[in-house]
Amino acid sequence: MRVPEKGCVLCEATWGDYWEEVEGQRMFFCCDICAVEFKNMIREIKSRTGWKSIDEVKIEGDYRGRDCIALKGDKRYGFFVRFDSKGQVQDFNNRPITEARVGPQKSKAV
Amino acid sequence: MWLNRNITKTKTDAKSLSMLFAEFFKVRKGGLQDWVKRRFVEKFYGSRPHPFVLALQHPNRGTLLGYVVEHQHFLRQWVRSCSFIMARTDATDVILYELDNINTEFGGSGPKQPSHYELLLRMGESLGLDRTKILATPALTDTVEAIQVWDNICQQDHWVEAMVAMHGLELIANRNLRKEGARMHYFDPTILETREVTDATRAFLREGYEADVGHSEEALDLAAKYADRFSIVEHVQATFMRSIDAFDRYLMARLERGRQFESA
Repeated sequence: MRVPEKGCVLCEATWGDYWEEVEGQRMFFCCDICAVEFKNMIREIKSRTGWKSIDEVKIEGDYRGRDCIALKGDKRYGFFVRFDSKGQVQDFNNRPITEARVGPQKSKAV
Repeated sequence: MWLNRNITKTKTDAKSLSMLFAEFFKVRKGGLQDWVKRRFVEKFYGSRPHPFVLALQHPNRGTLLGYVVEHQHFLRQWVRSCSFIMARTDATDVILYELDNINTEFGGSGPKQPSHYELLLRMGESLGLDRTKILATPALTDTVEAIQVWDNICQQDHWVEAMVAMHGLELIANRNLRKEGARMHYFDPTILETREVTDATRAFLREGYEADVGHSEEALDLAAKYADRFSIVEHVQATFMRSIDAFDRYLMARLERGRQFESA
């Protein structure tokens, strides 16, 4: 799996020194929570796509939620993910990437 | 994690980090009040405004119901928090302030001036959710955890820290934050003038919009005075950061609950 050259695989911070093996690959994380979140994210992608492996996950966003694109060969899978305080998946939407960002909701009479 | 969110994501040497910390916690001419507002604006109204604030600009039914169901739990904790502050101080100006606050938020002043809590429940009813259903719905985990943080602060930390931790949160609805650099209001004020939301929703939002300016600023003035007197400004700052982290997650819980209503 391709990962950022520098920094935590999930948030790209360069603090910390936490290493863990994910998908048979030794990866750097800034903390154990980021490692748990990343592993849960990978598990969720594989379960939803049926892919046996993932080439790369492009991640944008922060602790409030992340817009991501998983890549496998010429296939792309866009989703939004958010974690709870323990790093478990709290919200996972396989929405088209353009709609995945948390943003203003459509106005509707209430 | 705290460093990533508040200081920098880039690993730095001890000397640079020390300077970054000093800058982050520096209290300038405007005093502690100004520092609290600056940090609050940065987190909730800065370059990435909080998603709940974005959703509340022109809220749909789900967002408002998420607000109602989670906020009832917040308000019940609010009264406990204010009571802890009162119980742990002998400063008359603080006691009077908290008494007034509890009355506005929870007691109300007769049928013509219902409490904020009552207005919240009426908003939920106006959106089609029965009061008994609202009251019977347990809080989501993020709300429970946030309430636990505030309860611990109010029971265990200095009452001045508790004051800033709680009343600093009222800044969320403070109209004056635009002058402090906030990119938007809590909600688009035009919704108070149109039929976009129910009458009860307008009543609830208007009350907060008009009341909280004085409330939060008066509390911060009091807290700044006593933080100086007890020489605990840095403790107050650290506790405030803890409180707004909890508040951030709590606001996300409102959105999460809102999504449950939308998909039901």
